[in-house]
Amino acid sequence: MAAWSTLAKPQQTSAVLQGIRRLLAPNATSDLRHGITQQIRCGGGHHKEMFITPSRFQWNKCKDMVHYYVFLGVIPLSLITFFVNIYVGPATLTPIPENYKPKYWEYYRHPVTRFISRYIMPNPQMEYERHMNVLHEEEERRQLYLLEKKVKQLMAERSDYQAYYYSPNTAIKYYRKMKEVKKEENDRQGDNL
Amino acid sequence: MGDKQTPRKLFDGFINAAVSIIDSPVTWFRERVVTPNRESYPWYHQKFRRVPTIDECYTDDVICFYEANSQFKRDKAVDSEILAILRIRMEDCNMFHGPDAVAKCKSLVETYKEAEGNWFCKYGDLGFHGNVKDAYMKQKHRMVWERRHGPVGSGMRDAAAAAGDE
Repeated sequence: MAAWSTLAKPQQTSAVLQGIRRLLAPNATSDLRHGITQQIRCGGGHHKEMFITPSRFQWNKCKDMVHYYVFLGVIPLSLITFFVNIYVGPATLTPIPENYKPKYWEYYRHPVTRFISRYIMPNPQMEYERHMNVLHEEEERRQLYLLEKKVKQLMAERSDYQAYYYSPNTAIKYYRKMKEVKKEENDRQGDNL
Repeated sequence: MGDKQTPRKLFDGFINAAVSIIDSPVTWFRERVVTPNRESYPWYHQKFRRVPTIDECYTDDVICFYEANSQFKRDKAVDSEILAILRIRMEDCNMFHGPDAVAKCKSLVETYKEAEGNWFCKYGDLGFHGNVKDAYMKQKHRMVWERRHGPVGSGMRDAAAAAGDE
């Protein structure tokens, strides 16, 4: 709810509280404040006054923090702890019945731990088997990589395979063309140069 | 007998009254508020299947190693708890008997010392990152050492004697 989010922001919380105070005492005048008021001298009409007061920032901030941590922290958690421990209570250790496979959250004693295990944390057996699958796949990738590395090493040593270290002679067609041209020139011009 | 009974009864009564100042409200709350409103439900002790140990795994079998390592860590936790229970028994006996403990707690002390030696044999000196492979190699090294020099604790023989006997 948007209303609760205003309580998380202290400025808006203190604004909410100021509004409540103004609702309760709408006719409160400036003599309730500890500050000095200064009247701007201008002719006629009602004067705007600037209230010069010492800072109330620390006090307001302190109240905001107390409200936040007590109303949203201490009270709900204390109530939850009290009612869970009194009315739900911890489990009793029993031997596993025949032909019954307990669920993975039934291996814990306290009800809050069971709740966290059941609804928040993943099944440990599932995580174990997933991890083993990841290990298996990574090991297969590693074996393929080692095989490639070995093949490249042998090709580098022996230089006998038209693959990784092969550098093709792509200029051969120009070489053949130039050879034809030179032969034709030689035939035309002869050997006496 | 009568003279001893009455002061004891009074003293016991006084102590019981002093304790029940704190005890009776707590007991009342527990019996009247807590226990009627709770339903008892079970929790179980998880039993893991035994999987192949590290000496039954191939060298490139990562899954077998992972399972053997997990089993090793579980066994280490269980063995540490067993050792703690034996240690508690020995320490309680020693503390209870005080000066007599040397004679009266002998069997418990011997049991604990043997268990401690065995625990160190298997799990000790492996370091924080010690895994099941390190423990297996440690066992191998110990067996080789015992073959060359005799049981652990009987001292090293010199190189010639060790090589000759092996």
